[in-house]
Amino acid sequence: MTNERRAETTAEATARGRTYGAFRCLNCFERNTAPSGAKSFKCPKCGFEWRLSWPMPTQPRIRGPVWETNRRLAEEATAKQTKGEK
Amino acid sequence: MALNRKIAYIDLTTGTVEAKPIPVKMRKQFLGGRGLDAYLLYNHIKPGVDALGPDNVLLVSAGVLVGTLASASSRTHVAAKSPLTGYFGSCNMGGFFSPELRFAGFDHLVIKGKAAKPVYLWIHNGEIEIRDASKVWGKGVRDTQEAIREELGDHEIKAMTIGIAGENKVRYANVMTEIKNSGGRTGMGAVMGSKNLKAIAVRGTMDIKIAHPAEALEYDKKVISQVTAAKVSQEMGKLGTLFIWGATNSQGLVRTRNFQLNQLDESDAIEPEEFEEHTFGMAACYGCQVHCRARYVIPDGEYKGVYDEGPEYTSIGAFAGEPGCRDLTTVLAANHLVNDYGMDTLEVGGMIAWAMELYEKGILTDKDTGGLDLSFGNEAAVIEMIHRIAKREGLGDILAEGPLRAAEKIGKDSIKYQIHVKGMSALHSDDRPAPALALGIATASRGADHLRSRPAIDLYHLPEPVLRQIYGQPVPYEGPLTSDYTDYEGKSWQVFWQEQCYMAVDSLGICKYHTIFLGPNFPNFEEWSKLLYYNTGLEMTPLDIWNVARRANMLERMFNLREGLTKQEDWLVDRYFDEPTKLGIPKIRGRVIDRDKLHKLIDEFYGFQGWDTKGVPKPETLKALGLEKEPSHQL
Repeated sequence: MTNERRAETTAEATARGRTYGAFRCLNCFERNTAPSGAKSFKCPKCGFEWRLSWPMPTQPRIRGPVWETNRRLAEEATAKQTKGEK
Repeated sequence: MALNRKIAYIDLTTGTVEAKPIPVKMRKQFLGGRGLDAYLLYNHIKPGVDALGPDNVLLVSAGVLVGTLASASSRTHVAAKSPLTGYFGSCNMGGFFSPELRFAGFDHLVIKGKAAKPVYLWIHNGEIEIRDASKVWGKGVRDTQEAIREELGDHEIKAMTIGIAGENKVRYANVMTEIKNSGGRTGMGAVMGSKNLKAIAVRGTMDIKIAHPAEALEYDKKVISQVTAAKVSQEMGKLGTLFIWGATNSQGLVRTRNFQLNQLDESDAIEPEEFEEHTFGMAACYGCQVHCRARYVIPDGEYKGVYDEGPEYTSIGAFAGEPGCRDLTTVLAANHLVNDYGMDTLEVGGMIAWAMELYEKGILTDKDTGGLDLSFGNEAAVIEMIHRIAKREGLGDILAEGPLRAAEKIGKDSIKYQIHVKGMSALHSDDRPAPALALGIATASRGADHLRSRPAIDLYHLPEPVLRQIYGQPVPYEGPLTSDYTDYEGKSWQVFWQEQCYMAVDSLGICKYHTIFLGPNFPNFEEWSKLLYYNTGLEMTPLDIWNVARRANMLERMFNLREGLTKQEDWLVDRYFDEPTKLGIPKIRGRVIDRDKLHKLIDEFYGFQGWDTKGVPKPETLKALGLEKEPSHQL
């Protein structure tokens, strides 16, 4: 048929890069994994902490921040940045 | 065959009905659903008509793949001139209505005039009747549907109805099918109410003949695998669209306290995982394997024990984030009320949060609110204001008029605190850190709209090569693209590309959650080309489908320009530029949209569109798309 273009579509090609079981830190976007069933996770790259939930047994998701930790880290980073700008 | 469904012209003033076939030539130009509706609206509405008068035209349609073997082919589109914005009015919803409309023999309804008394349409196997609706006028959405099914003696009937809000012409009233399928944004329910049209009931048993059934089945299996294998689909199948909240609120990408803060901290109680405890399984729309519709019973409070469906991500923002509430029961009850009154969640939440900020600033007082404490975080006030808006009582009557008219009535600088574009409230997302998202809402045809051109995947930090694969087809693009969502580079192309993607999917009648909206690896133009051929026999390349989208988007723009739209309205309110974000992760704090850079993005966006510097399509653009003779009155 005339619609045939190529064996693999863009969606199929990009899907090959899927990383099941991994999730990105929502601060630094580093791709991480966590022990199965873990309720929280500290990003080894940036130190931000996240509360996790497990919609599937092998796939965690970030439920929300550990509020106190992330607020403190964000305020420290902002203060450092402001100081640097001055 | 799948293309033999008809278009019906229904005049409620005279009570006449006329049905015609839809030529294949028109299909190739506009497909169906929103695409063909763009053509019909531009052709059937005279410039400057009163959106709530009999000269407005209400369009109801199915996408061209609806009811076929294509997955998630469930979408119903409704269009008219909007009583909220005065521009292109349009809404799109899932459920089972438009497949049933096709099984009953019709793809498009063009509803004109105004009935002398309340009526509903009864459409069944090629027949259309106009029936008395006086018994259901005054009823809520779910009671109306049940009463019509009882009256017609068929519990398989699907009905699109308005609730009390539509009858009262709340300018952001929805059309609704079943309990929760909401045709929201731009007030199509108010248009229906203005025509004394309470409902459209459909039932059909007419087969849709698939052009190449074996290939269609086989190919759809492949597409379904692509969709269900995605992590976002699996999360949605468990938590519904609420799952988005975890990512956006964690970073600081949600508007709270109207537009004063950008994160609802310490809000664990409204996270989707908490909501999951009150659900009992997920449901799906027609032909969908993702099943993102949560079913729940309200656990306590005034509405304890009431069953409903949802809430969506939008509702958690509207009834928790924006008014600064942290109570899950309030979200569930508010979601139930807007469903049954038939009102747009986003607009209701936006208007209430705006009123709360006005109350905080003393622009509204207890005298204006009738003694109601409109402080942020007052959950009872949110519930009460929903009732008042739907019934148009007191301050609710003013808020029912939408952002611009309400601000004009209240005066005293109240407009400064409205978060809208073109007179339509924005989603609760805070787009100050994300220029692509800001550009999308600034330029969308409906107003501040996250469903017209938003490159939501821009928030995923995707590697540039992946972005190039996605955004480099079916039209080659070699300009800049960046993984950083706070950057301005390349965002104009992403918004332009998504605009064509969403128009295409809305014209096919497939759900946006089955294309590149929340996930990067979803079917798009290439898959649609094959689905179209196997299901309908229409031979169209990915580029042909892209051009359908271009054509239809162009007509939406032309409609808006004809109604008086100017370049100045492709813009954001001052707070996006002048008030920096305060909360969230470090990269999000202190963000505003840069005026000069947004101007540049808009200029680039106009350039991709083939518009001049004033945002008007150039003659050569119209000629290239075959639109130079519109309106052509071919249908």
